[in-house]
Amino acid sequence: MRVAGRFATRGITRASLALVLLAAPGPAGPFDIALFAAPATPEAHGHARLVYAASPFGIAVTPDGRSSYDVQITAEDLRTPAALGAYTTYVAWSVTPDLRAWHRLGTIGNGVTTVGHAEENKFLLVITAETSPTAPHAGPTVLHGTSPSGWLQSFLSHPLFRGQVQ
Amino acid sequence: MRTSIALPFVVAFLVALLGVAPIARAQHDSTAHDTTAKSMPGMSGMSGMSGAADTSGMQGMTGMRRVGARADSGMPVPMPPGMMMMPGLMGLVPPGGSFVPGKGMDAARVPAAEPTRILRMKSGDTLDLTAGLVRRTINGHTFVAYGFNGEVPGPLLRVPQNATIVVRFHNRIDLPSSVHWHGVRLDNRSDGTVGVTQDAVAPGEDFTYTVHFPDAGVYWYHPHVREDIEQAMGLYGNMLVDSPDPSYYGPVNREEALMLSDLLINADTLVAFGGDGPNFALMGRVGNVLLVNGEPGYTLHVRRGEVVRFHLTNVSSSRTYNLSFGPKVEMKVVASDVSRFEREERISSVVIAPAERYVVDVRFPSAGRFALVNAVQAINHLRGEFQPEVDTLGAVTVASAPATPDYARQFAMLRANAAVSRDIDRFRPYFDKPPDERLTLTVQARGLPLATVQFMTVDTAYFAPVEWVDGMPDMNWLSASKQVRWILRDDATGRENGDIDWHVKRGSIVKLRIFNDPRSFHPMQHPIHLHGQRMLVVSRDGVRTRNLVWKDTAIIPVGSTVDLLIDASNPGAWMLHCHIAEHLGSGMMAVLHVDP
Repeated sequence: MRVAGRFATRGITRASLALVLLAAPGPAGPFDIALFAAPATPEAHGHARLVYAASPFGIAVTPDGRSSYDVQITAEDLRTPAALGAYTTYVAWSVTPDLRAWHRLGTIGNGVTTVGHAEENKFLLVITAETSPTAPHAGPTVLHGTSPSGWLQSFLSHPLFRGQVQ
Repeated sequence: MRTSIALPFVVAFLVALLGVAPIARAQHDSTAHDTTAKSMPGMSGMSGMSGAADTSGMQGMTGMRRVGARADSGMPVPMPPGMMMMPGLMGLVPPGGSFVPGKGMDAARVPAAEPTRILRMKSGDTLDLTAGLVRRTINGHTFVAYGFNGEVPGPLLRVPQNATIVVRFHNRIDLPSSVHWHGVRLDNRSDGTVGVTQDAVAPGEDFTYTVHFPDAGVYWYHPHVREDIEQAMGLYGNMLVDSPDPSYYGPVNREEALMLSDLLINADTLVAFGGDGPNFALMGRVGNVLLVNGEPGYTLHVRRGEVVRFHLTNVSSSRTYNLSFGPKVEMKVVASDVSRFEREERISSVVIAPAERYVVDVRFPSAGRFALVNAVQAINHLRGEFQPEVDTLGAVTVASAPATPDYARQFAMLRANAAVSRDIDRFRPYFDKPPDERLTLTVQARGLPLATVQFMTVDTAYFAPVEWVDGMPDMNWLSASKQVRWILRDDATGRENGDIDWHVKRGSIVKLRIFNDPRSFHPMQHPIHLHGQRMLVVSRDGVRTRNLVWKDTAIIPVGSTVDLLIDASNPGAWMLHCHIAEHLGSGMMAVLHVDP
């Protein structure tokens, strides 16, 4: 029998590997979303933070165990929606990664707005210009991001295996 | 042997070739084994406390999964379906040796565990509480375990609020031990924390505790020595403290005290514990057999429309549960660790971390069978996917005959507990004050197998705020407390764990801000427990708690910042620690001194 600790100093320097990987691009934590501007609105920028929806248990989950989040969206330099066409408002959506299901979270503007709830395991956070707060999604995207869980990935696609970490 | 950096690639490739099965399993058919509940002397309605009777031959047992480690791999820990042990870990064992209770003993010569008894006690009474060896049979596996007074769970102590009892503890197991009275704001000398308030009680020795119960609610007792072994093997029991106010809670037809735990059993027997210290140090031991009151297959029979009050206590080493009876069954949460909520709330499931308690009223509106399930989202770390996982802990069978009396009207009301709000009022001016103390939660590891280190460092792009299951039990098993150091770090001084030296004056209202750092080797949620005091979770990530309740344990998800307001009213040296047993056993504790 070998004892696990005997592997301690072999191979690459673990600390250096960990530092490189921890410094790699990615969410700052499991609640942070970077928002990226769509080509039509390159000046727009922002970020979002997931906050557990109110729950007597401190963490909010659905009966099948998915996290339930309010989304605090900070948006800057959004033009008036009318500047993009016949639009009156910006709407935040949580969208399944296959783009099939769009769940309306609420309307937002410049500054900090909290909308909710996002309850998909992985989702895209998309801000679009729309004709009304209740209209189905049809307008142009101005900001978008990926839930931190979207970074959960198969090891086959990790930078380590693309030669980006030596 | 030199382990290639490409090893995880090979593993992932092999797994991809083999295919990964969904975690939801066929045996979770929600068909609970139908055992006749044992009636509890002196307590009508506590029928679910069926103790640790022999369950051999219970085929199709609910709550059972992942049993069947590959005997030829040297790996005793069952892997999740579709997952395989990493080749680089095969043949390794965690350092520090192993331990199982009653090693070498013939289990047949050990008395079988008995059902829990209800002990109604009054102030001034004395209880003899003996930790001893018992025989348990779970899913056909017979082994030596522990019990208090021969029972698993130990005796349920039912006492009036403000009672004081004397407990003569007798340690008759094969490890040093003690008894901690979890959540009870008692005299510091009786807190049972070895190394802080007392020395360990050696096998064959005794210790006398004086336990005063100032607060109504549900509490529990357990050892504070090697909790990863002693608690997991059966040394736990509930205490129900009754308010003198008959309307303290709303009316119900019956009460059930459910202690939730899990055991890790492979194809042959229990997975051994660490000898010198805990194994499974990374994320704690997550069992594959879910138990209610020490048994799989919880059953309860009620009448249609019956309202049942469940006193829930999570005594698992690491597992956080998400419990429900399905969409047709209405639930409302009434109370938690040390008090009622300000307002009762409707809920669709109960999230309960290790050591927490919740009092939940449930109404079963129609005849039928309602499974008690734990439903979570597991993570397949190789494929990078979430997978739903459902375990059935038992079932409630509802007869067509109507409940009498009918409490439907009272159940429909959500009570506001003005007394709780009034009690909290004097603390509200302190909600927004700057933190008096700040803690960061993190971890250090050294000496782990290289394959583990590689695997975990490539898996740092995302950490779930809460890990509901152990998706990497091979790596977890091979991590021992001598390799993993879980850390409470005082931001102000940089001191860690036992070196933290906090002193506050009795009567202080202390704001403690805890940040669970996601940028560490293996961030994980921590249920932080403070002994001997009560506290409010006043905010999480800057969002004020809307409905307050006094707590002694609060879960801190990865990446979260949680503000706790501590009512430091009870003098003494009080431990603050993570209640994941293996994290505590890997150093994650500090002491708060409340000076007279």
